[in-house]
Amino acid sequence: MKVTDGYRVPEIITPSAGDTSFPAMVRLGNGVPVYFVGNGTVDIMRIEFVFRAGQVMEDVHLAASSANAMLTEGTMSHDAATINDLIDSTGAALSHTADKETAGLVTVTLTRKLDEVMALAAEVLFRPSFPDNEFRMLTDKRVQAFLTGRQRTSVIAREAFYESLCGAMNPYGRITSENDYRSLTTGDLRTFHEKHYRTGNMYITVAGMEPERALPFIDKHFSEKVREGWIRPEVPPLSYETAKPGTIFREITNSVQSTVRIGWKGITRNNPDYQGLQVATMILGGYFGSRLMRKIREEKGYTYGIQAVAGAFRSLGYITIMTDVANEYRDATLSEIRKEIDKLRKEEVSSEEMALVRNHLMGEIARMFDGPFSVAEAIRGVIDYEAGEDYYTRFAETVKTITPVKIKELFSTYFNIDEAFEIIAGAR
Amino acid sequence: MFILVSLPYFAFMIRFERHTLANGLRMTVHRDEGTPMATTDILYDAGARDEDPGATGFAHLFEHLMFEGTPRIPFFDVPVMMAGGENNAFTNNDITNYYITLPANNLETAFWLESDRMRGLDLHEERVNNQKSVVTEEFRQRYLNQPYGDLLLLLRPLAYRIHPYRWSAIGMDISHIERADSASARRFYDRFYTPSNAILSVAGNVDPDKVFTLAEKWFGEIPAGVKHSRSLPVEPEQDERRELTVHRPVPSAHLTMAFHTGARISRDFYVLDLLTDILAGCDSARFPSILVRKKELFSDADIYISGEADPGLVIFSGRLKDGVDIRKAEEAVTDELRRVADDRVSVAELEKARNRYESHRLMSYMNAANKAFNLAYHEVLGDAAGINTEKEQYMSVTEEEITAASQLTFRPENCSVIHYLPEKR
Repeated sequence: MKVTDGYRVPEIITPSAGDTSFPAMVRLGNGVPVYFVGNGTVDIMRIEFVFRAGQVMEDVHLAASSANAMLTEGTMSHDAATINDLIDSTGAALSHTADKETAGLVTVTLTRKLDEVMALAAEVLFRPSFPDNEFRMLTDKRVQAFLTGRQRTSVIAREAFYESLCGAMNPYGRITSENDYRSLTTGDLRTFHEKHYRTGNMYITVAGMEPERALPFIDKHFSEKVREGWIRPEVPPLSYETAKPGTIFREITNSVQSTVRIGWKGITRNNPDYQGLQVATMILGGYFGSRLMRKIREEKGYTYGIQAVAGAFRSLGYITIMTDVANEYRDATLSEIRKEIDKLRKEEVSSEEMALVRNHLMGEIARMFDGPFSVAEAIRGVIDYEAGEDYYTRFAETVKTITPVKIKELFSTYFNIDEAFEIIAGAR
Repeated sequence: MFILVSLPYFAFMIRFERHTLANGLRMTVHRDEGTPMATTDILYDAGARDEDPGATGFAHLFEHLMFEGTPRIPFFDVPVMMAGGENNAFTNNDITNYYITLPANNLETAFWLESDRMRGLDLHEERVNNQKSVVTEEFRQRYLNQPYGDLLLLLRPLAYRIHPYRWSAIGMDISHIERADSASARRFYDRFYTPSNAILSVAGNVDPDKVFTLAEKWFGEIPAGVKHSRSLPVEPEQDERRELTVHRPVPSAHLTMAFHTGARISRDFYVLDLLTDILAGCDSARFPSILVRKKELFSDADIYISGEADPGLVIFSGRLKDGVDIRKAEEAVTDELRRVADDRVSVAELEKARNRYESHRLMSYMNAANKAFNLAYHEVLGDAAGINTEKEQYMSVTEEEITAASQLTFRPENCSVIHYLPEKR
């Protein structure tokens, strides 16, 4: 058969999410949960140590991320230069993670270096010394990065959004100033570390080929008992002070583009509509051919990209749409966003569009569970937000069964554009 | 030196099979049974260096047009998504690369899509105009609206005078993009998007023989086109130091120093890639230790090799601490570079760099899409087997070679410098 004329289009096999089962867990003698994610064809391992030591646990602003960044800046046994040299010599990659909820370290190492790398990880996690000189240098560096962020329209718009949504006193909405960096002390970091970096406050994920091989080394170096009298800190109760809807303008002089960001309150993970809302948001602005991308990028050419996200903190959800556009397209963009939302509130999506998003999300779940390193990343959110071990299995089921009627209902219920904050960050 | 335990990891190889279709399309296939997915990676041997100096940014604009559909498949993304796949592309100075990753049982859909857009594109004026506008916003978002975003746009024309590396893939000037039309797009397509100018690399849970059969079916009848032969002007040796000072609305000063070096497949590339790891590859490397921690001149100090196909650059890039004089900072970098040219690096440093190279190499093989691209990239450099043999190039680097390459590279007259300073308030 000649393929140039009248060829047969290959039949597409409906994608499935594949194996989304939650990995096995064992506990160390001291109770630390260790999750093992197997498979893989390359003999390296990714081991992650996660503490409930994120921004929500702070008494002093920036203590969580600063304590985390200082872990490798010197320990009780080694100064900064020596500890880094020891880590680097193993060939392992060690990176810091610190977000709103958790903080910790991720290491990727050759299997044969496990013993050394686990010893070093335990040393930096449990016995950091927080030297003043290194802290001063780190502060200077972080201030520079912070000030650079002040030139970025997307950073300013994001900050204004979370402040409007959560309130300036809430850890999710707090605005950072240069002074917050300058007034922080190593004493603050020691206090934070002492309270939160404890075996009673952590879990470990191990991903790679035959990950159980790491257990003896983890056990050897992480069997530290939780100190007597230590009580696992609870997440403090959070109060939210959501601002009144309206337009907020933040000026960044001379910027050639503006960030346009709108958003409003959404729902949290325990709401039965949360997963359906993920699907709905994807239709609006979650993929390359989404409603917003087609309209605002492909049809109008206003932007390089636009996305919509339905997310949730611990006890507050939100929906947000963001894009960077030329200053002259700001108003037109906002009005097109409103029109697209309005359409989805009024008209059901076609069965073709529904199938498209369904299959795309199925493929996305399958890719999240493709390979041990990806799985280890995927399960973190499930553990941190206590979303339930069957979260992705349920999600796959939602994706498979959700209907256009339900999608329209979700838009009508949750896309209350009249409650939106409209944030514009850019030149006047 | 290396004991037996380390054998399996040194023996790690990417196995692949090769085939060339009659129309010149080169193929590699790597079977990875650890994933349910498969990736098709199509690399076109056309990048910004192949552009006309009066029409730069065209290869990248063209990459956008490749997603704009054909008379037969009006929406490229729809079948990809229906098949549970994802796709993307990038353009650099040397090549343009497209990939689709999807469940392996839908591999044929990727072949259908990629062969279709190799066979013919819908290059309506309207589509071209829309993508010109998208690319203009991309230019603004990524290069102009980012603090320090235009650094590399400034460096290229300073370091190169003749070779097309003197412009970035986004283009020399946004006005070039504005001048593009469907006729020029058509010419570019006809010239470069042919089987004989492409490499198709497949990696994932696939049977190589079946992949070759599919390729024959979908790509076999596409006319070969004229093989593009490249003859680019050779950049003359730089014979004096070049310096550019700019003022921008940024909070702190930044120093860039670029030195000309060899091509991607030259011995110097491997020697200097390893050396730059010794200098700045990790926190305990020389620059972070000396320039950042000990002398406190920089907040960060990096050096890397551009790794472009034609003779490239070794680029130092560092952000100054507040209050530091940029000439003093530059002197300190020069001192450190002189030190590697005068003295040998230590055995421990070299050993550390080798360990790091090995684990990085293995990390990059965790993912089938990465392997597909790397095979295609080595093939365009001359031989896909480079994915395995390159390791030997790195492992055999000696202290003497590092010294010799440093002496050759880090000469003042071989250097282009940018002082990127905050605007006075």
